Amino acid sequence: MSSVKKKISLAPEVVKLYKEISLKDEISIDELKNITKLDHGKLEYLLGALTSNNLVERIIEVKKKVLLTEAGEIAAANQLVERRILSALKENQPINSSDLSKILDCDNRELNAGIGYLKKQGMIDIVQGQISFSQKEVEVSTDIQEILVELSKGNEVDIQNYEKTLLQRSLITIEDEKKIIVKTIVKFEEMKKNIVETSDISRLTPEMIRNGTWRKTKLREYNLDVSPPEFFTGRKQPYARFLDEVKQKLVAYGFQEMRGPIVELEYWNFDALFQAQDHPAREWSDVYRITNPSKGKLPKENHVKFVQKAHEDGYDTGSKGWRYKWDPMKSARLVLRAQGTSVSARTLVDLPIPSKYFSISRCFRPDTTDATHLSEFNQAEGIVCDPSITFRDLLGILETFAIEISEAPNYTFKPDYYPFTEPSVELSVKDPKIGHIEYGGAGIFRPEVTRPFGIDAPVIAWGLGVDRLFMVKYGITDIRELYSYKLDWLRSARMS
Amino acid sequence: MVSIKASYTKIQEFLGKELSLEELEELLSFAKTEIDDYVKEEDMLVLDIKTSNRPDLWCAEGMIREIKGILDMEKGIPSYEVKESGFSVKVDSSLASSRPYIACAIAKKINLDDFYIKQLMQHSEKIDNSYGRKRKRSSIGMYNLSMIQSPVLYQTAQKSHKFTPLGYEKEMTLDKILNEHEKGQEFGQIVKDYGIYPILLSADGMTLSLPPVINSNDVGRITEDTTECLIEVTGTNFETVNVVLNILCQTMADHGADIYSVVIEYPPEIHKEQVITPILELESIIIELDIIEKYLDVKINSTKAKELMQKRRFECEELEGNKIKVMIPPYRKDILHWVDIAEEIVIALDYNKIGPTKWKVLTTGGLLPETESENLVREILVGAYGIELVTNILTDPSILTSNVNLDKQELIKIENPVSQTYSVLRNQLFPNLVNVISKNTHESYPQIIFEVGEVVRMDKNDVWTQTNAAFCIADADASFEDAHKRLHHLMKLLNTEYKIESTTHPSFTDGRCGIISIKDIQCGIIGEINPLILEKNQIWVPLVCFEVELPSIPTLNCKTKKTY
Repeated sequence: MSSVKKKISLAPEVVKLYKEISLKDEISIDELKNITKLDHGKLEYLLGALTSNNLVERIIEVKKKVLLTEAGEIAAANQLVERRILSALKENQPINSSDLSKILDCDNRELNAGIGYLKKQGMIDIVQGQISFSQKEVEVSTDIQEILVELSKGNEVDIQNYEKTLLQRSLITIEDEKKIIVKTIVKFEEMKKNIVETSDISRLTPEMIRNGTWRKTKLREYNLDVSPPEFFTGRKQPYARFLDEVKQKLVAYGFQEMRGPIVELEYWNFDALFQAQDHPAREWSDVYRITNPSKGKLPKENHVKFVQKAHEDGYDTGSKGWRYKWDPMKSARLVLRAQGTSVSARTLVDLPIPSKYFSISRCFRPDTTDATHLSEFNQAEGIVCDPSITFRDLLGILETFAIEISEAPNYTFKPDYYPFTEPSVELSVKDPKIGHIEYGGAGIFRPEVTRPFGIDAPVIAWGLGVDRLFMVKYGITDIRELYSYKLDWLRSARMS
Repeated sequence: MVSIKASYTKIQEFLGKELSLEELEELLSFAKTEIDDYVKEEDMLVLDIKTSNRPDLWCAEGMIREIKGILDMEKGIPSYEVKESGFSVKVDSSLASSRPYIACAIAKKINLDDFYIKQLMQHSEKIDNSYGRKRKRSSIGMYNLSMIQSPVLYQTAQKSHKFTPLGYEKEMTLDKILNEHEKGQEFGQIVKDYGIYPILLSADGMTLSLPPVINSNDVGRITEDTTECLIEVTGTNFETVNVVLNILCQTMADHGADIYSVVIEYPPEIHKEQVITPILELESIIIELDIIEKYLDVKINSTKAKELMQKRRFECEELEGNKIKVMIPPYRKDILHWVDIAEEIVIALDYNKIGPTKWKVLTTGGLLPETESENLVREILVGAYGIELVTNILTDPSILTSNVNLDKQELIKIENPVSQTYSVLRNQLFPNLVNVISKNTHESYPQIIFEVGEVVRMDKNDVWTQTNAAFCIADADASFEDAHKRLHHLMKLLNTEYKIESTTHPSFTDGRCGIISIKDIQCGIIGEINPLILEKNQIWVPLVCFEVELPSIPTLNCKTKKTY
């Protein structure tokens, strides 16, 4: 062993224990417990510091321990059943087994074991159920009886030759008895100089600060290898937080927020947006309707009349219109907001010019829910209005959204279709993993949409697929996660 | 959006050039179409067409027309010769108030194979379903011409009238067809609403079909052996039936068929004169280029405009005063206004080539006061160790009722739910927080969650959306106090006086529940959740929560949003 030993830091309690063990070369843990008056847990904890430094060795010795069973205890006290049978036979023979059972007051199982033993030894005969001594004179061995008596006194007995019989007759059980022995590897005296006694004080207390004992106290070193316990704080929902960021960016671009109701009149969801009343998007399969009430009231303002005209003959726009009889009852039906553009439509009333608006709103469509569809989702929508606005400005807005909000410089514009805008553009982004993704769209509101609200200036309407944006940014593949109930995700989802 | 299947090889054959999927996708974008899927083994492309007002694009031939223009392979309006067929259709005045219009044509030398028949059927179905509004507005029928005698009669029949419908062996009465035939069950309601039975008959009395429900089994069956066919479109709108016929004729002519016209003899109650269909006279629109230039912010003279419009398969005449006259192809009825022409011009210029401009509309931005208020509440509740939730507004009625020991309430119900799970609108938040806790019993405690979210309420006169805040703590030693101190903290930071008065509520434990009120207006609830509910939801720790309506807090700016 090397003579140069490393310095070892040990807590005072550990040092004390080390000294104690070192007095003897070998000591059992039970003895050690008696000497130190420590409980088992604490003792093992302190021993750990010594064994990990190879100062002492902890050895487990396994010993067989023979224990009497309940039957064994009875046999030790009352004699074994075969001996009792023999004494009964001396008094009274031949005898049948049920009378024997009454005399001996033992159960049948035990009795049968005794009879079986005697029969095997050839000491009794059984003729037609009657038990009597055989002709052969054999002495009943007293060995087993003696073993039982010794065991019942708690003495150690060599049972080797009888082990099988004793076990078979359920007189004993054998258990492994563990004995923990602590052996000294390095004597305390040899180590002494290399031991640095550390503190067993784990934390600074207010008292220590107040009474100044902190000056003389060395705190136990913190174990840096141990992971800290889990810690959960309050936090914003990751998707909600992302939407907050999007809102912030839009506000920075000069957009004013707008909001609308979840239950919407078809008027705002469709009619004001020049979607004909028999348009397929207004079908049962495409929009949620509500019952009780199923209809609301149309606004009292003049624009209703002009919207009607726009549908019927194009109003004053020069458009041909849809050329059918517009039905105010259909327009007053209540639906769940199916597109965020309904919020924009409401904003067209008394729209200030110039103006820029946005809304992030929950929208609803009767889709069967799966990894890519929800019946409830968020849409970011908005409008920009100014007399000077052109189609190229619209492309400019989409370009900014692509670069600044979608963080996707690799974008293209594609012709698109919305019933309420012309021309219409899709913002398509090429993602290296997913391929083309439709991130958003925009168009200039048709005059049939804006003129009924007295607006002559062009109005750009735009939308961003914020659900998709968040999913791509955070690598989420299942859209249902955005509205997750999983506390695990809500507590631990990464924020960047 | 309309989805169709097409053959990748056939599209390349039609265009006469090989195209990679990527190249094809780029060209298809000019026809507002995207490749949704490609199944190589079947040579099948699944295409999504984004326009609901361009049924001419809902087949490969229609897209190819557009692409040929973009690639300068063809320009202007595609034309084909229409000869007279000598056939006529007599329309009966009894149809005046139901389904009065019909447009017909005859196609000969049609070279049908199995694939083409399927494509034709697919196109017809898509048109019937979407543009034809599930056959209500228009529906298409095709018949084997060799079995039909002119004049064809479009009239009404008795419900006892019999014929053998497609797919059946035996004759059935019209009544029976509507009630028992698969198509009768699907589209029969349209006819039932008319109160009469429209019927198409050959001059010899043979039944062609019961429009818009079903064709007859023999004459109304198109097979690979059919070389000449009669195409008809019936409907409620004169323009619609004619544009649908024009689309079909154009598509068949593109395939090399000869098209023949049919005379439609209308009674004066329906249409003042007879019509020869297909009607191929071109509609036109005058465009002032100054307006277009300003709208798009591009420079185009009339020569350039003409070139661009031809590229988009229109015809164009240059007029004096920087104007053009645009002639519209007969298969398109989506041009309502000059803005529609503006889009055609800018598509021809290519969106990706004209260049975006920088922002010039300067305005000040801002969040709504209600959003600011909600954010403030969220901030305070996060500080109170709450984990924020965003959950569905559309929910399962049992979550709002039996799950929290409440009786059926007046909830706003969806008339056409996809599933029970999303069939009512939530009217408060805390029941779903209880539901969320019950879904997380395997996670460590304490579980502290909250939601600031919209709920929908109604009364006799109104339906409105408002924002509530609900907070919930689940822990082995959670008690009223844990909810109370957080509510108190919230109200203190919001500088709002509030009261809690003891109440009984089925969701909460008696004696551990209170109504929150501000300025004598009840606006929330607080308490320990009834153990009955915990047991039912298998939550094995106490749960306490509060919910408060934000519009009732005077120091916030949360307004309710009325629907009307």
